[in-house]
Amino acid sequence: MKASFAFPALSLAALALTVGLPLHRVGAASPAAKTIQISAKRFSFDPGEVTLKKGEPVTLVLHSEDVPHGLRVRELALDLKAGKGGTVQASVTPDKTGDFVGHCSSFCGSGHGSMTLTFHVVP
Amino acid sequence: MRPQFSVAAMLPLLVFAGCKATPPGNAEIAVAMAVKRHITVGDKRLKNPLPNNSSTLADGKEAFGHYCIACHGNDGQNTGIPFAEHLSPPIPSLASSQVQAYTDGQLKWIINNGLWPSGMPGAKGILSDEEQWSIVCYLRHLPPAGSQGTPEMYTH
Repeated sequence: MKASFAFPALSLAALALTVGLPLHRVGAASPAAKTIQISAKRFSFDPGEVTLKKGEPVTLVLHSEDVPHGLRVRELALDLKAGKGGTVQASVTPDKTGDFVGHCSSFCGSGHGSMTLTFHVVP
Repeated sequence: MRPQFSVAAMLPLLVFAGCKATPPGNAEIAVAMAVKRHITVGDKRLKNPLPNNSSTLADGKEAFGHYCIACHGNDGQNTGIPFAEHLSPPIPSLASSQVQAYTDGQLKWIINNGLWPSGMPGAKGILSDEEQWSIVCYLRHLPPAGSQGTPEMYTH
C-alpha cells in the first residue's frame, strides 16, 4: 500500500474503532435491537418484570398512559422520561447479570415511590 | 335533659379544657432530641449508597421539591412557609444543628417513616428509596436561607 493511501486508511480504521468501542450502552434506538414495549400508568408499569440477556441490545419503548412518567435504572444507565401521553425510547445493552429495580423518575402522585419495574438480566 | 345531667355530661370536656399547643421549652426540646437521636429514630449506622456528587444533589433537590417544600420551603429553612412557627413543635430549619446532628441513615429513616410526635409524615411508598437518599444528600448541601424564594403554592 502506498503511503498516500495508508494514512487515510489508518485514519478510517481508527475512526471506526473509536466509534465502535466506547462504553455507549444507552442511546438512540438501534433498528436491529429487540423491542420491548412498556406502558406506565399511575402507579405501575406493564409489564412489571422484564428479562434481558447480558450483552444483547434491546430497545425499550416507554409509553405514558396518563401523567408524565419516567423509568430510571441506575445499574443500566437508563433514564427515560415520557410526557403526559407521550412515548420515548432508548436502546440498552446490559453488561452485567442480576436483578435491577427501576423506578418512576417523574413524580406522579401518592404511589410514585412504589412504582417499580424489575429487570432480570440473565447470562 | 335535666340541668344536672347536662352538667355531668359536660364534665369530661373539662379534662381537655387545659390542653393547648404551646411552644416547647428548652428542657423539653433537649429531652426530645436526645430521645429521638438515641432511641426512637433508627438506622443510625446506615450509609448513603448514592454517590455524593452534583447529579445526586440535583436529584435530591428535585425530589425535595415534590414532597418537602410545602412545609420546609424550597431551601429547607422554612422560607415563605406561613405556618412554620405556628405549629407545636414548630417546623425546624433543616440546616439547624438539631437536624444536621442526625446521621445520614437517621435522616433517611425520618423521611421514610415520619417523626412522631411532630407532624412530619413518612414518604414510604410516595418517594422511592433512591429519591429519599438523594434528599439526604440535598439536606447536607442546603442552599443559603432565602436564596430559593417562596414555594410557588404560597405566592398567589
